Amino acid sequence: MSHLLDRLNFLTSVRKDIFSGGHGQTTIENRDWEDTYRARWRHDKIVRSTHGVNCTGSCSWKIYVKSGIVTWETQQTDYPRTRPDLPNHEPRGCARGASYSWYLYSANRVKTPLVRGRLMKLWREKRKTMTPVQAWAAIQSDPAARASYVKARGKGGFVRASWDEVTELTAAANAYTAKEYGPDRVFGFSPIPAMSMVSYAAGSRYLSLLGGTCMSFYDWYCDLPPASPMTWGEQTDVPESADWYNAGYLLLWGSNVPQTRTPDAHFYTEARYRGTKSAVICPDYSEAAKFADIWLNAKQGTDAALGMAFGHVILREFHLDRQVPYFEEYVRKYSDMPMLVRLEAQDGRLVPGRQLRAADLPGALGETNNPEWKTVCIDEATGDLVVPNGSIGFRWGEQGKWNLEEKAQGKDVTPRLTLILEEHRDEVAEVAFPWFGGAATNGWVSDDRGGVLMRRVPVKKVKLADGSEALVATVFDLICANYSLDRGLGSDNVARDYDADVPFTPAWAEKITGVKRDRIIQVAREFAANAEKTNGKSMIIIGAAMNHWFHMDMNYRSVINMLVFCGCVGQSGGGWAHYVGQEKLRPQTGWTALAFALDWARPPRHMNSTSAWYAHTDQWRYETVTAKEILSPTAPGGDWESLSLIDYNIRAERMGWLPSAPQLRTNPLKVGAAAKAEGIEAKDYVARELKAGRLEMSCQDPDAPENWPRNLFVWRSNLLGSSGKGHEYFLKHLLGTDHGVLGKDLGQEGRQKPAEARWHDKAPEGKLDLLVCIDFRMSTTAVYADIVLPTASWYEKDDLNTSDMHPFIHPLQAAVDPAYESKTDWEIFKAIARKFSEVAPEILGVETDVVQLPLQHDSAMEIAQPEVRDWKRGECDLIPGKTAPAYIAVERDYPNLYARFTSLGPLMEKVGNGGKGIAWDTRTEVHHLKALNGTHREGPTKGLAKIETAIDAAEVILMLAPETNGEVAVKAWSALEKATGREHAHLAEVKHDEKIRFRDIAAQPRKIISSPTWSGIESEEVCYNAGWTNVHELIPWRTLSGRQQLYQDHEWMRAFGEFFVTWRPPVDLKTITPDATKALASGEKHVVLNFITPHQKWGIHSTYSDNLLMLTLNRGGPVIWISENDARKAGIVDNDWVELFNSNGVIVARAVVSQRMKDGTTFMYHAQEKIVNTPGSQITGQRGGIHNSVTRAVVKPTHMIGGYAQQSYGFNYYGTVGANRDEFVIVRKMNSVDWLDRPATRKVEAAE
Amino acid sequence: MKTFRALSALLAYPSAELQAAVPAIRRVIAAEGVIPPGQATALEPLLDSLATGDLYDLEERYVLLFDRSRSLSLNLFEHIHGESRDRGSAMVDLLETYRAGGFDLTGPELPDHLPVLLEFLSTQPLAEARAILADAGHILVALAERLRRRESLYAPVLAALVAIAQATPDSEEARALLAETDDDPTDLAALDATYAEAQVVFGPDPNAGCPAAREVLARMSTAPAPAPARAAAAN
Repeated sequence: MSHLLDRLNFLTSVRKDIFSGGHGQTTIENRDWEDTYRARWRHDKIVRSTHGVNCTGSCSWKIYVKSGIVTWETQQTDYPRTRPDLPNHEPRGCARGASYSWYLYSANRVKTPLVRGRLMKLWREKRKTMTPVQAWAAIQSDPAARASYVKARGKGGFVRASWDEVTELTAAANAYTAKEYGPDRVFGFSPIPAMSMVSYAAGSRYLSLLGGTCMSFYDWYCDLPPASPMTWGEQTDVPESADWYNAGYLLLWGSNVPQTRTPDAHFYTEARYRGTKSAVICPDYSEAAKFADIWLNAKQGTDAALGMAFGHVILREFHLDRQVPYFEEYVRKYSDMPMLVRLEAQDGRLVPGRQLRAADLPGALGETNNPEWKTVCIDEATGDLVVPNGSIGFRWGEQGKWNLEEKAQGKDVTPRLTLILEEHRDEVAEVAFPWFGGAATNGWVSDDRGGVLMRRVPVKKVKLADGSEALVATVFDLICANYSLDRGLGSDNVARDYDADVPFTPAWAEKITGVKRDRIIQVAREFAANAEKTNGKSMIIIGAAMNHWFHMDMNYRSVINMLVFCGCVGQSGGGWAHYVGQEKLRPQTGWTALAFALDWARPPRHMNSTSAWYAHTDQWRYETVTAKEILSPTAPGGDWESLSLIDYNIRAERMGWLPSAPQLRTNPLKVGAAAKAEGIEAKDYVARELKAGRLEMSCQDPDAPENWPRNLFVWRSNLLGSSGKGHEYFLKHLLGTDHGVLGKDLGQEGRQKPAEARWHDKAPEGKLDLLVCIDFRMSTTAVYADIVLPTASWYEKDDLNTSDMHPFIHPLQAAVDPAYESKTDWEIFKAIARKFSEVAPEILGVETDVVQLPLQHDSAMEIAQPEVRDWKRGECDLIPGKTAPAYIAVERDYPNLYARFTSLGPLMEKVGNGGKGIAWDTRTEVHHLKALNGTHREGPTKGLAKIETAIDAAEVILMLAPETNGEVAVKAWSALEKATGREHAHLAEVKHDEKIRFRDIAAQPRKIISSPTWSGIESEEVCYNAGWTNVHELIPWRTLSGRQQLYQDHEWMRAFGEFFVTWRPPVDLKTITPDATKALASGEKHVVLNFITPHQKWGIHSTYSDNLLMLTLNRGGPVIWISENDARKAGIVDNDWVELFNSNGVIVARAVVSQRMKDGTTFMYHAQEKIVNTPGSQITGQRGGIHNSVTRAVVKPTHMIGGYAQQSYGFNYYGTVGANRDEFVIVRKMNSVDWLDRPATRKVEAAE
Repeated sequence: MKTFRALSALLAYPSAELQAAVPAIRRVIAAEGVIPPGQATALEPLLDSLATGDLYDLEERYVLLFDRSRSLSLNLFEHIHGESRDRGSAMVDLLETYRAGGFDLTGPELPDHLPVLLEFLSTQPLAEARAILADAGHILVALAERLRRRESLYAPVLAALVAIAQATPDSEEARALLAETDDDPTDLAALDATYAEAQVVFGPDPNAGCPAAREVLARMSTAPAPAPARAAAAN
């Protein structure tokens, strides 16, 4: 309404009453016009929530709601204060988050359940006369019917469906699959639980009650750095961002903090005001490079070469020419550097072998418990061989000596670091170290020095238990040799002079990396000198950029070694800050109980996704990398070269190292029934049948229809649009629809086929019967799904959120009801569970399922295999849980699955809870949950605590976790005290009575309570920093030696030449094949570039990349970045449409031509959706692919190791990873742009 | 006028009920004569297809057009506010309009969903309904044109609404909307225009800020739209 005529526009009244001493006045004019402004900002309520997207920010927001509609949001500013002299966490929240509330009502939202029309028609047709399970069976047994919707994936054709109908269809498919093939053929993929724990748990709880397979994500995303479990026995643990402020020297290495860590970047700025110096290492002139005091623009993929040179300088100047007392004490106490390594004779030369164990020595040096798992060193005072406390043998089977006290059998000892002094050594031996520098291809500098480098090492002779004599050296002395340090022992391949052309000198690194040697020396010196002055306050912030290379472990271990050499790990302001993925689910042990239904049955079925997708999308059929190419010339004897990469994975599964999904070719429900019928234990039955060949592991034949994954749930994820390495192989083999694979498989190419994996000449296409995508937007994955379920977004559900970047736990809350017909993930899976319980009893009752479990880290199984023995090849007997996976019978009550889903099961009271190798009782907490959530009054779960709502579920997590329940924290620390024999409960005692509830975090974010699940503490004295309790509480790292493990002695680590860090050039993936280049016209201009996929600025993973605000800030569709020189060569100018392709597939994008780029590389920020502004490709005639269309996963055997201390399987902890940085593409300008927007032709993938 | 309810039904998700109601829709349109005769005849192909088509095909067509194509969204504010901050407030205002008229929303749709608005208009006197519809005239023009380019049978529904609203097809607002991205091959130039950055020039007014940012902002900050809600509230 206009107020023009009510208001004085030109005049003001002089008749005014004055009050409050002239500060107030009374006017007589109409002031209704002010209401317009009042109304504009009026709201009914403010609700706290956050954005549950895979962004480590984890920022709390105020959501303003009016009439049930979100009107705007602002940043919360009520985080608990930090201590004096430390900046506060605020402001947190960036433009991406602020753009969200309008995304809530975007046209891109999925409004109703959608089903592929052809499937819907078939289903309704069959349902007229059949039960749900019969209907699904009828569709599956009719190949033409099945193909009619399978081949239509990605081609539109959705119709709306009711929740009732769609949950019935899904439940029927799950029930049929469980009965026909086995419940482990129902897969579920959802990443990063920390961003919305209850939503993740909804699906994983359903799958776990069903016996389905929960797939890992951290390793598949390649955010897991395997070097972390190798070194620390820890998946990943990092300092909170506030701890950057405490650093004296910050090295940013492949991490782009100002761009990708927006809410935390202020600590980086503030640290500089405090005087912290910062060096930045990245190939391009990134946002972070602008913050640097010194920028080292190393060639991409050469980080390890740079790291080796830093290590060379640090060892030379701070350990050899001069010994820094702090560094020396640190490496002696907290690393395996004083431990002894046996040198083994091989082809007339000595190679580093296994670490010496107590069991190798006469009388096992008095150790009777696990002597083969106790490492040995020399005592400085006596010169005797001693077995110091803390190695992994002390962790299991005895108590009180698993600690880092410098003691052996109760006596004080001082481990000797080096045998360099003549009186300490028996002789000096030539030792062979593998050299890979000559294998460089594709423009990386090749440095051919033959296959091995001989270097001299001081050694001692020891007498072994069998009477023979062995040569041993300390890890420290071997490391010095490995880093080519001349110690006056007169050998080749070592240097004293930094300018020498010997591997790992700064001059050598200059040749490989392109970074000037004086800059390398400067950064190494400054980094170490700062650590010397501050007792370890030098920190390295590291990003995915370095972890996505095939040889990522070399990059990471070169960095970790620098930190260990300088005593930085476990010190506030120092250490390894790897921020990739929101990996820290702080109340983890409370969450695992809920998420994997550990309250009802143990163990759940977990699978490492990289191996699973590698097998099931048939990427192994196109493998271009042979074992021979990556094998060490110093490998022990064996059939290494005759195996292909999938063969290694099969052996790993067979020996119980890695999990399998599916597990056995036979339905595990049938296996359970058969064992029961015979009246023998499942494990004995399976062992007997496997040996007899009547049972077969599925991994041997991934293409047999019995071994296909049949149903796949994808929720909270964009598997196909964002993280699916080998995207086109997913489309071809898993989904069975149009694809852009250009290359041929091993059979068609006539190359060597796998030895263990069964080969089918014709590869299957369309393995999945049903793909269900649960999302709030029409993502690329949704476009390919058979069923799309609309889920609540982040202001429409109750959930929990934590991050590694700050110490708070805070909620997502339903500010408004889910828009349109959407439901929360919790309610969706509850609805599916309810339907399942209705439809399943037709074919499933109470069944015995047999679950196959790999040898688990943090359990006694982690010391199962001191040596590698394969039962199948007759090297040992098949003993489940020892030489093979464990096989465990688990009862499934299918008719009561829903009742179980919504109740806290009895195992929490009977067995208790725990994590990371410690266990505690939870009876009190179960009692409290019954009072808090209420109990079921009737039915099969009568008397058990309810888990009906998402808030009930959140309360289960909060009540059971030590991080949010002080009483549990005290119990957990007390449990750990038994193992270490040291007092730790003081870390939580002050919080004994603190219990954090959902309503508490709704009021304000809460700082979590210190718990032994994590290696840092929450305190008013120090910031959270990883490794703090290892260093300050003397709790061992969960590794072989109990110390930071720099030497990796597993046979496969030695076989592939990675017992120590070294320089390994990127592998040649050979994807620029004739199949790919034939698309080029003769003489057509093009360039071949290394394809790099960093994290983007205007999006968080795929979310936000289809948001118009964010798109407008960039170029509004897929773009790649290339250098001016490369652009000129290919005749490309800025904003041209270009095609990127290789044998894996094709991408279409616009070119951004920039001086910032290094020649020879192209960046494509991931993940730009193919649903947004992507035209067709000239080569395939289909819509251009996503960034993963030109990639293919390549697995690495060293990541498959298991049953061996820190190298044992854990979900998202160890396993193969999806590396994709070594890839090359052809880039050319497109002649014509075709938007392929011809509706409903069904020829175009993802066309709508 | 029941004509609005008929048009609301035509723009709703196809169902067996709608198929059965086609004769009734025909009768209402003919009887009330709100839609000019030529426009009413143009609806026939759509009515025929709804009456006789395979329901699954009709549903697939609807989902593709209206659920999946952003540029054809039936949520009106998508086209003027998009993902901007004003969208929530505009929807609240529209909701208040419905409430002032004695109605509340039921079901899952948002207030700015065109069938919802049309249903509300069916409860209002024709003159007022026309006036409210006219406020959204430029959106209707744009939707009608985009559907026409796709040769969609739904285009005449929107054309009928344009006629009722007596909206000017080539108004400046309508032209601006039509210049925006459509999921259409002919709009390649429009896409380029939307995302192209202006060349940075210094002067004559150095204080005017970065021209690229200025232009982007100008394109994003839609003028306070003559939202039907506010106009209605004024009456």
